Amino acid sequence: MLDFIKRMQLQKLLALGALIILYLFFAYFGRNFVSVPTTLSILSRSYFVGFLAIGVTFVIITGGIDLSIGTVMMCSALIGGLLFTVFGFPLWLCLIIMILVGTAFGTANGLLVTKLGLPPFIATLGMMMVSMGLGSILTNVRAQNFPTLLGENAWFVRLFLRTEGNIPTGAFFLAGYLILTFIILKMTKLGRYTYAIGSNEEAVRLSGVNASRWKMITYMISGTSAGIASIFFAAAYTVMTPGTGQGFELDAIAAAVIGGTSLSGGVGSVTGTIIGVFIMSTLAVGLVSIGLRAPYQVFFTGVVVIGAVFLDIQRTRRANRVKK
Amino acid sequence: MKKTIAIIIVLVLSLGLLAACGDNNDRDGLYIAVLSKGFQHQFWQAVDAGAQAAGEHYGVEVFFDGPESEADIHVQVDMFNQQLALNPDGIALAALSTQAVLTQLQDAYDKGIPVVGFDSGVPEAPAGQIRATASTNNQNAAALGADHMFPVIRDKIEAATEADPVVIVVLSQDVTSESITGRTRGFAEKMHQLASGVNSSVAITGGYPAINTGDAGAAVRIEVVVGATSSSVDMATAASGALTLPGLIGFFCSNEGAANGVISAINAGSVVPAGVPIVGFDAGESQKAAVRSGIFMGGITQDPFQIGYQAVSLVVRAIRGETIGDVDTGAQWWDSTNMDNPDIALLLYD
Repeated sequence: MLDFIKRMQLQKLLALGALIILYLFFAYFGRNFVSVPTTLSILSRSYFVGFLAIGVTFVIITGGIDLSIGTVMMCSALIGGLLFTVFGFPLWLCLIIMILVGTAFGTANGLLVTKLGLPPFIATLGMMMVSMGLGSILTNVRAQNFPTLLGENAWFVRLFLRTEGNIPTGAFFLAGYLILTFIILKMTKLGRYTYAIGSNEEAVRLSGVNASRWKMITYMISGTSAGIASIFFAAAYTVMTPGTGQGFELDAIAAAVIGGTSLSGGVGSVTGTIIGVFIMSTLAVGLVSIGLRAPYQVFFTGVVVIGAVFLDIQRTRRANRVKK
Repeated sequence: MKKTIAIIIVLVLSLGLLAACGDNNDRDGLYIAVLSKGFQHQFWQAVDAGAQAAGEHYGVEVFFDGPESEADIHVQVDMFNQQLALNPDGIALAALSTQAVLTQLQDAYDKGIPVVGFDSGVPEAPAGQIRATASTNNQNAAALGADHMFPVIRDKIEAATEADPVVIVVLSQDVTSESITGRTRGFAEKMHQLASGVNSSVAITGGYPAINTGDAGAAVRIEVVVGATSSSVDMATAASGALTLPGLIGFFCSNEGAANGVISAINAGSVVPAGVPIVGFDAGESQKAAVRSGIFMGGITQDPFQIGYQAVSLVVRAIRGETIGDVDTGAQWWDSTNMDNPDIALLLYD
């Protein structure tokens, strides 16, 4: 049993080790890497991916996938920006609506997967296009702006990104969400069923549990997380462009995989996912600090993802061998 | 387990290789970050080449980067953040969205890092935060087109009378964008000036009331034609209409969209009257083919190499505390005789 737990944790430990090695590497070779602005830069690009990745981790653990989160996040942000700038809604109300838009898309995904029995890959691929299209339709393909640290409503950035005094306020929210989701996964019935469905959905069903209902909830968590992510994306990037958002879901899924969540389901953790998120953002910022251009980030993130999946497969094979 | 260790070692080693090629530990010289709107187009590659050349000239390190598409505003924001974190000595920026980088501009300003705009610059930036901009003066550039077209049609202009008038068309896709209006005005006014030297009855007429000189009955008319919309369909319609104007002796297209409108019209059956020179601004693939085959006389291209070069030299001068002002990075005439010269070919971006 001890051995089993060790193996479960192995990839997470490896990921943490890789993060530390990466950080030390860039601290030594990078220009001005250990500094407040660099740290803020790493953090500010981690927040929204962090929320997306935590959400999608739930779905991946059940053995599913959610490809819609990137564009759902952008759709939420576009709707929020539209209500704020064009319709003059108070900002706090817009933020709540942004989260609810995410929940609505998550619910729709869940219904497609559980009630209509569509494969998650196809259902959420469709929803990716639906949400991207909806964002463009509602905004009439116009970019939507959010407040900055300089003008009115600066509290928005101060609360969700950083203060003028460089306190990374967004980090507190992400840490809070991490703790909340950690507790849900490890200590509640929802968490236990999430893992159980991913390990053997049929067994869960046969033991009299309404598996569909719990699966549905994981898609709602994923959508809601995308809605929350949209707030942090808007705080960091101000201008929301219709027709974008594709690709963020892959960053989030890659982060989960790097952190040891298995795409075949049943295995994974939100702490590992967050480590994955920081590996990717540290890599991105670090490569620039040693003087390499943006395409290298994509290249090396790809290398890391392949390495992580390879480890995952090795582990699964070993586990199967043990079973035999 | 052995395998996992092997993988980690390979990863670390590959990063080590990176550090070797990254070559960045010299912190003696100045470090300037150039953030463009893109990277993949030849245009930006030429801007990069210019920026690097200026870097060599001044002995400063130039780092050039840009997002993969012009919709990637968030990528440029990240790049700006990352560069600010490196405490560069100066930054050159072609902003995709000024609104999205307001905080970063303020940060740079507070840190005393000079920021210079290039290409389209950083429109509507708060006063004082952009020291100067290196970009093409569209009016001067388009006037270059008039300079080249005039000698070809000079005799016809001289011979024109109010009973037997001639017309030179300027085809433009809109009346609002700064670059298009600048080019339209630049060509029309320069042609007016040149034609007035050989014929006493010259007028600008048509779709740009602000520059019209009235008198639709003049012997030489410079007629501005504007498409119903900037869509390729409407530009082709406008072009085919303009090609049938009686007395047509010259045709200027103020951007690639207008030039493609003419090419589409010709493809669809419009005929260019014999001996009418067509000149286009910009240099797309089909425009190049049209020049090569003799349908177009030539074109005017911006000088992206100079845009990059001047942007970096403005930053260097700003760092040295000199007072700097906006720089016109100029334009180049190109036609079938010089379009394959290496220095011109570099400027004929697609």
